[in-house]
Amino acid sequence: MNTAQKHLHKVELKAKEYKSDIPVVWCGGCGHHGVLTGLLRALSELGVDPNYLVNVSGIGCSSRLPYFVHSYKMHTLHGRAGAVATGVQLARPDLAVVVTGGDGDGFSIGGGHMPHLARKNINMTYVLMDNHIYGLTKGQVSPSSRKEMKAYTTPYGGVDDPMDPVLYMLTYGASYVGQAFAGNVRMVTQLIKDGMEHKGFSFINVLSQCPTFNQIDTAAYFKGVVNDAVNEHDVTDRDAAMHVVNMALREGRMPTGLLYKNARPTLDERMAALVEHVGGSPDYDLRKIIDLSRP
Amino acid sequence: MQDVTKSDLIIRIAGEGGEGIISTGDFITQSCARAGLEVYTFKTFPAEIRGGYAMYQLRTGPHPIFNQGDTFDVLCAFNGEAFDLNRERLKPGSVFVYDSPGGNFEPDIPHGVHAYPIPMTLTARELNSPRAKNMVALGALSRLFGIPEAALREVFSAKFSRKGEAVAQANLAAFERGVALAAALEKTDPYTVAAPETKRDQIVMSGNHAVGLGALIAGLDFFSAYPITPATEVAQYVSKHLPKLGGTLIQAEDEIASISQVVGASYAGKKSMTATSGPGLALMSEMLGMAFMSETPCVVVDVQRGGPSTGLPTKHEQSDLFLAIHGSHGDAGRIVLSAENVQDCIDLTVDAFNLSEKYQCPVLLLSDSSLAFSTQNVPYPNPDGYSRVERKRWDGEGEYRRYAHTADGISPMVDPGTHGGMHIATGLEHDEAGAPNYTSANHEAMQAKRFGKLKRAIDDFPAVEVDGEGEAEFGVIAWGSTIGVVREALQRLRAEGLRVKGFYPKLLWPLPVEQFEQFGASCNRLLLPEVNYLGQLAHFVRAETRLRPESYTICGGLPFTPDMIVCKIKEMLA
Repeated sequence: MNTAQKHLHKVELKAKEYKSDIPVVWCGGCGHHGVLTGLLRALSELGVDPNYLVNVSGIGCSSRLPYFVHSYKMHTLHGRAGAVATGVQLARPDLAVVVTGGDGDGFSIGGGHMPHLARKNINMTYVLMDNHIYGLTKGQVSPSSRKEMKAYTTPYGGVDDPMDPVLYMLTYGASYVGQAFAGNVRMVTQLIKDGMEHKGFSFINVLSQCPTFNQIDTAAYFKGVVNDAVNEHDVTDRDAAMHVVNMALREGRMPTGLLYKNARPTLDERMAALVEHVGGSPDYDLRKIIDLSRP
Repeated sequence: MQDVTKSDLIIRIAGEGGEGIISTGDFITQSCARAGLEVYTFKTFPAEIRGGYAMYQLRTGPHPIFNQGDTFDVLCAFNGEAFDLNRERLKPGSVFVYDSPGGNFEPDIPHGVHAYPIPMTLTARELNSPRAKNMVALGALSRLFGIPEAALREVFSAKFSRKGEAVAQANLAAFERGVALAAALEKTDPYTVAAPETKRDQIVMSGNHAVGLGALIAGLDFFSAYPITPATEVAQYVSKHLPKLGGTLIQAEDEIASISQVVGASYAGKKSMTATSGPGLALMSEMLGMAFMSETPCVVVDVQRGGPSTGLPTKHEQSDLFLAIHGSHGDAGRIVLSAENVQDCIDLTVDAFNLSEKYQCPVLLLSDSSLAFSTQNVPYPNPDGYSRVERKRWDGEGEYRRYAHTADGISPMVDPGTHGGMHIATGLEHDEAGAPNYTSANHEAMQAKRFGKLKRAIDDFPAVEVDGEGEAEFGVIAWGSTIGVVREALQRLRAEGLRVKGFYPKLLWPLPVEQFEQFGASCNRLLLPEVNYLGQLAHFVRAETRLRPESYTICGGLPFTPDMIVCKIKEMLA
């Protein structure tokens, strides 16, 4: 059992008991409600001790999520949630760390951190609420917006091709990658649960409609283009997972369900091994280090 | 042979990067320090990976040394470029050791210079170890200037023991040939290193390593950094030793990530730090504002280099003060300390942690590139002699409010995993419980809380030093490694009968206004030398105090010399 899992299966709380008193600020019909519900259910089903749970977010509509969860939490800067969460996780590997954020936060301003969360295999769960739009700034195209989208900054239609979050994360070496539609709360719950139990960096992309600013990627649109719960490939085979995604994209569709899962050592485990290798301990005599600087 | 020997010696070794300039200098420095002498080195590196002009200067002697000196007494030139670049500093009475015959240049040596030709290249080739050219030079220098040989041999054996017998023997042979070559020459100069009779219990470190050591003494738990000249050696030192103490370190993908990780680790209850240079500090600005807003302790060391932009990455400048003090959007506060020397790099790093933990805010420690690479001796530090401050933590009584208003503005923190302590650390303006709150009354009260506690740091840690007593004709205010230059300049001026005083603030922000004004009141005129174009500290002094110091700025990539300060003051008095 990895250190973070020590605090799973510890308490018996109902999903609503993980909900804080702060009222949810999202618009009616926003897909993020489904993600919050899924997260609360996953926490309840896992029995996560909220005292050992740290929710970290950046900036954006979705990044308000930690306020609504009963736990330790940080509401940080635009794009920096993953990096801040890395500090939390490495400093205290016994904590369960969950990052929530949006597509702009994670793949535009924060895109430089994503490869490193994945390749370093930081033991945390990153739930990306992908609504293909900037909502908090009232409707601009995001890195995952479809090219045909007209938004405030693209009044004549877009000029950029979109990127696919799960394909990127597979390439970057995330050890767990899943995708769900926010309307399928059961799948959201299942993936978050499974991702939190996974030892290593788990990335879950949730396709989440923005009814206020994204007029083309509606709930009905997402519902129509997702391939439900792909399960015919070997999920421990990264090539197979990428093939599934590529095949779906070629048909203009998006696969959902668990795409890839393969355990490997996490950074905190490697750090612990390194400390053990050098015989490290807080009681180590500092004079032995100072002595090395004698002339 | 001269009648009077001089035991204060400044020796400059110069040549092509990669020729062993630095290791030659290090050998001499280590052996002098081992023999109980004071040492203070100054190095310049090319920004290129290979080649380019490299220079190592050592000042050594039995008395305390505060700076690199005005110029050198002895120049050892490995090639023609080294001669050309230093020729005009070869004054009558100075010493010139150079590669000849067989070197790549035939110098026209200025009149009155003591010249010692040593066939460095030729000898190394004869010995079939061309890479040992520097060891031939070292042998000659050690013989000519009485560098403690027993200590030197001890340093060799420590250095070469890892490299195998063959390498050790080849280097030793080259060294001994160098000794013999010098012995055959007649010594005409007065310079001879004299080891003191009593050895001191001391260590020898660079400024960068000293910062690392200070952090370890302070109780560093978590370190994250991104490589950048001239700060990288801080990370190197910490990477080597922090795991021994069970700490955690990470090389981040950029400086934004490193400060973010530091803030995350600190939220999780750990003493956390990063080290960078100006370009990295610029990237950290936004997160430093968040650390202030969320009242999260963190220590950032900025080893300043020549700017702006990529600037002069390996050169000396004190030009990050504006950025260090105000580099964040909105009204954001922090504490800024500044180190004079290697001893400060240890002590002020410990202080930075203590202040950061106590006041729950970012603390920046400024170093600079010449201090970063300067090797100096300091008394063996007693790690138990330092106080270590822990952040105030919640006692578990009543309802926890992370940002509770308190008499001293400091709200107890709580580590994740503490029952009843759940809260949010946030960059949004918030109320006492951490909930978003944008009302004017709340924002005003919270800014007053956050800035109020910083003001108290001045009483807690004024960290200013006044050099000299009574009334003075001239007062000199200096910061960072310029302080050591001013100390010596003032000694010289006093020796000439001038009434001069120095003021050396090591806490630069919040500016200790009262202390500045008290000092200013005791001087007729004030001079503020600093190595930047804009006169950055002078700007703050004029803005915050009633003082109107006269700025003396240089920005040529090199530090001041004592001579420059002496001349400036005489010129102003004339």
